[in-house]
Amino acid sequence: MSAPAETVTVVRRPRWLRVVGVLALVSTAATVWLGLWVTPPDAVQHDLVRLVYLHPPIAWVALYLAFGLSALASLLYLWRRTRSMFWDRLAAASVEVGVVFNALTLATGMIWGRPTWGVWWTWDARLTSTALLLVLFLGYLALRRVPADPEVRARRCAVAALIAFVDVPIVHFSVIWWQTLHQGATVLNANLSPTIHGSMAWTLLLGFIALTLVFVWMVGVRYQIEVLADRTGAERLEVSLAERWAEGDLDTPAAGGNGHGIGTTGSPVRPPTRVGQ
Amino acid sequence: MSYVDAGYSIGLGVLFLYAVGLFLRRRSLERAVELSPPPGPLDGPTETGSASGP
Repeated sequence: MSAPAETVTVVRRPRWLRVVGVLALVSTAATVWLGLWVTPPDAVQHDLVRLVYLHPPIAWVALYLAFGLSALASLLYLWRRTRSMFWDRLAAASVEVGVVFNALTLATGMIWGRPTWGVWWTWDARLTSTALLLVLFLGYLALRRVPADPEVRARRCAVAALIAFVDVPIVHFSVIWWQTLHQGATVLNANLSPTIHGSMAWTLLLGFIALTLVFVWMVGVRYQIEVLADRTGAERLEVSLAERWAEGDLDTPAAGGNGHGIGTTGSPVRPPTRVGQ
Repeated sequence: MSYVDAGYSIGLGVLFLYAVGLFLRRRSLERAVELSPPPGPLDGPTETGSASGP
């Protein structure tokens, strides 16, 4: 038997992810500094405008980046030519991060809405469709926890992500399609001419960049967790099977397997047939 | 505490806690992978022929 020192598996962390993490931290700190201490108060909203440097970038990450990426990855998983567990893991990672950002979109919006509109919540089209989006993607995360073969789970979740994504354009156009309390787009409006200028515009732009970097770092780490969890899950199964083989309870690995209880797609195969006494 | 302070505290605080959670989850899984036994012993029964017939 080999020595324990020889059995250690080295798990590598990509260097680019560390760089993105540092850039995310620095740019977020710069956004907070500019947003809270450098930019002037607004003529109408006064200091409340400072929440604008945080709320739209968070919403941008949740709606367009996270759920957009999850829909794209799900589509690529469902397409036979590009089908790979990479896309399934990427979609899962993106949805989890997106749900956090979606919840924060609602929370920061409510904190801004209370002094501006006089209420924490109203059944406005934008707010309601955003809340519905959160519920839909929470459903996606619940679906991932339903025990199933990895490929069946991936297929189910890909379809669920695409169905949930239908709500994203509804959220985006809700302020145009219906008369809402929520204001229209400041940057991505119909004329593509931002209605914010000077240091306020630059701070808002930096906020978008900072939160995008935060998202990339989080999805990168969450993707690694997905890979590691799959590996440890498979390894637990291997150890369990090995123990049973050692005890003589099980026959040798079934023909067609790779001898480790893992199929060619990375999914656990059925345990070998029990031998008679 | 003003609404602005509350918004920044909740927004950035939750993101920070989630990031720390991700970091810790990754570290614990990395350790689990590093400490897990290699697939070698699985070939044991086959090599010795102790658990299978011809």
